[in-house]
Amino acid sequence: MNVAAIGLDGQEKAPETLVEMCSVRLGEALFGVPITHILEIVGSARPQPVPLAPPFVGGLVHYRGDVLTTVSLRHLLGLPPKDGHQDILVLEGADGCYGLLVDAVGEVLTVSTADHEPNPSILDERRRDVFAGAYKLKDSLLVMLNADRLDPMRLGGAHAA
Amino acid sequence: MDELTREFLIESQEGLDRMERCLTDLEERPQDAGLISEIFRSVHTIKGTTGFLGFKRLEKLAHAGENLLGLLREGKLVADGPHITGLLELLDGLRLILRTIEAEGAEGDGGDDVLISSLGELQVPAGAAVNQPVAVAIGAACVPAPAAAVSLVPAQPRTAGQPPDPASVAPPSSKAADGEPARTRIQGLGTAAESSLRVDVTLLNQMMNLVGELVLTRNQVLQATSADPNMTLLSRRLDMVTADLREAVMKARMQPVSNIFSKMPRMVRDLQHTLGRRVRLEVEGQDTELDKSLLEAVKDPLIHAVRNALDHGIEPPEVRQAAQKDAEGTLKLRAVQECSHVLIEVTDDGAGISVEKIRQKAIERGLITPERAAHLTERELLQLIFLPGFSTAAAITNVSGRGVGMDVVRTNVEKIGGKVEIDSHSGKGTTLRMRIPLTLAIIPALIVRSVNQSFALPQGALLELVHIPPRQFATAIQWIENAPLYRLRGKLLPLVFLDRLLMPGIEPGIAARRDNFIAVLDADGRRFGLVVDGLADPEEIVVKPLSAVLKSIGIYSGATVLGNAELALILDPGAIALRARVAMSEEVQSGGGVEAEPETNRRKGVEYLLVDAGGRRAAVPLADVLRIEQLPLSRIEYVGCRPVLNFDGQLLPVEDSGGVLAAAEADPANQGGPERQIVVVVCREGNRQIGFAVSHVLDVASGGDLFEAGASQRADGVTLLKDRVTDVVDLGGAPTLPSRDQEQGEWNQFAEARQ
Repeated sequence: MNVAAIGLDGQEKAPETLVEMCSVRLGEALFGVPITHILEIVGSARPQPVPLAPPFVGGLVHYRGDVLTTVSLRHLLGLPPKDGHQDILVLEGADGCYGLLVDAVGEVLTVSTADHEPNPSILDERRRDVFAGAYKLKDSLLVMLNADRLDPMRLGGAHAA
Repeated sequence: MDELTREFLIESQEGLDRMERCLTDLEERPQDAGLISEIFRSVHTIKGTTGFLGFKRLEKLAHAGENLLGLLREGKLVADGPHITGLLELLDGLRLILRTIEAEGAEGDGGDDVLISSLGELQVPAGAAVNQPVAVAIGAACVPAPAAAVSLVPAQPRTAGQPPDPASVAPPSSKAADGEPARTRIQGLGTAAESSLRVDVTLLNQMMNLVGELVLTRNQVLQATSADPNMTLLSRRLDMVTADLREAVMKARMQPVSNIFSKMPRMVRDLQHTLGRRVRLEVEGQDTELDKSLLEAVKDPLIHAVRNALDHGIEPPEVRQAAQKDAEGTLKLRAVQECSHVLIEVTDDGAGISVEKIRQKAIERGLITPERAAHLTERELLQLIFLPGFSTAAAITNVSGRGVGMDVVRTNVEKIGGKVEIDSHSGKGTTLRMRIPLTLAIIPALIVRSVNQSFALPQGALLELVHIPPRQFATAIQWIENAPLYRLRGKLLPLVFLDRLLMPGIEPGIAARRDNFIAVLDADGRRFGLVVDGLADPEEIVVKPLSAVLKSIGIYSGATVLGNAELALILDPGAIALRARVAMSEEVQSGGGVEAEPETNRRKGVEYLLVDAGGRRAAVPLADVLRIEQLPLSRIEYVGCRPVLNFDGQLLPVEDSGGVLAAAEADPANQGGPERQIVVVVCREGNRQIGFAVSHVLDVASGGDLFEAGASQRADGVTLLKDRVTDVVDLGGAPTLPSRDQEQGEWNQFAEARQ
């Protein structure tokens, strides 16, 4: 019985899957977004500020004939804004595409779902809202971003409320 | 719903639309075999396909209609009022079932028995139907059936397209003569359908976007390659191809106004029954094309306008006869392209709008004060009907008169960047003019600078620009507490500082130390000055929608990418006025909305090209100016003693009332030296073009009306330009070139004049 149970346990661990995450850098920290969520990466853009816009809006960029609203990840995490060029992840939102403004886009990392841990309880409210746990890398953590929570439509609603 | 059914629905809708057009035409030309064949074909196609798809109810109804149409086509019956009413009911019945299929996937089980039996009754030939009191009045001459008049071969629809022997279609009525051109037109339609293709609008929008993207990439390529001579040629070519591509894609979105005009005959027909009017509908300029989205937007205002014209404009036949008018009123729909606008006019020859009634009603409704009303001119009073909640109809009918009509017309048209004007003469009729921009996707805008950013300001709302240098700032801008005002030609104009609006925390003193520009704006009757730090070039901008989050800020209507690849937000003047509390209601009560802008309201759009013709100032209506050409004097040739210009192979008479040509010819400096250049303004006058020789072109300005002292009659032939009385050139007065019949007589006159 015991042996069988262990065997079952072992089998449960076996279907662990490998997923690809796009890593992005914000200051010193490393964050991840599942690459399946990303439509495109726009390098070194300089968003145009929008006066009177909600503070989380990082500005507008020109993207494939359209005007893309961007969300500043720095603002969401309460970091000071960064001057100069930034990279943009184009993500799909409820109201069409939007851009996520990050300092720099890094390499694509392959991680195992087995290494995933949920958000720790000591995390502050602001971060718990947009983080989706973390993957344990060899000598650091890849903090996952919850792409659904970054949608400007949702942020706009939260902002208004 | 499967693909086949969807295809069938689209095709049937098109067929029924065509049928509707033909039916109303048929009323005017009951003998037109081509029209009947076309209608027959529509119904027949539906019947054929329904049998195949298994829609029994639709098939049964279509079959009943086809029987009647068959008789009409064979000439056993002549289409008269009741028949056409019956066929229109059939049309509605078929449409209803199609809609049910579209919504529910099945045809439902309504009863069509009444309709089918009434279609059956109509198949009874002979005079019974002809002698019935015919309520229909669209001038359908009920010619008794000339039995074997139309000898078209039935069955195979193709044969119907062949022009039959004209003699065999010639009944006593002269109207049958119309049959021939109508048939060729229908044939034309057939071939057009074969060479055209149905495209999803979203695909077209996408193409438009991509082309916009390409234009920007091109701009950057042009800048990057300007130094390299090898690339210059290539990038020029890219430039040209891009421009052509953009034009082609825009063209693909265009649709003829006939798409909405064609709905009107039916509506007019139904309305005259309901309202007891007799109306003849004239339609002009059906081929004028407009962007699809704009066409959709114009539909409702047009329907409102036509309803209004029938309900309030055209009087009942007895009243018309009492007023010595033709018992049958005329409603004219006209579409014409003017530069970058399409003008859509709805003209009726009805009672016109009583200015007195408007005055009373406006006072009654509290829209203006009696004192103010006494000072308003007729034209200004007419504009009051565009205010919300205004209706002069004595009784509210179910057609119009709920007081929502005209302000809805105005709001809808202004929403798409258009303008509405009304012109009415008591007892003679009313003209409603809608000026619609050619496309919505691209609008002319002025690029302004504020808070170190560019913003786009739609030209449609822009009246004028005022520059205030730093040293004049303190005196030019006056304050009532903290409300800035500018004295514009003696009137106080409320100001809105764009930088303070956008960045509430900005240091107020900064404005005094820089150049300021006031853009005087008119947003739906709210007039104010927007103060910006700088002006850039006007540009044709491609409007890009904003995300919901940014739209909810309220003052931006979109964004655009400028030629230098910079992004600019498009400002919404109306929303800025609201945010800054530039209220319209206050203005109307104080008369500001109407009175403060007599020039713009009264003669909106009447702009003149100011020219110097031999030392005399003259004005040419800008709308009539086609081109301004500078050319060598030798290009002017003479027919008799009349100067003409050979222009692109066309002969253009040149008007020289200022004596410019004569002076130039006589000028001794002309001899030997470099060839003398002259300026010719090419104008449109009716159907012809006329050149007007001038010394210089001075400016473009908005004209003001001049009134003869003591009389409230507008003085003709002169206008107030830049505060000076200026002659308006009478283009109509320019003589035509001698035509063959006139030639001899005119020649004699020349000869006499020369002696």
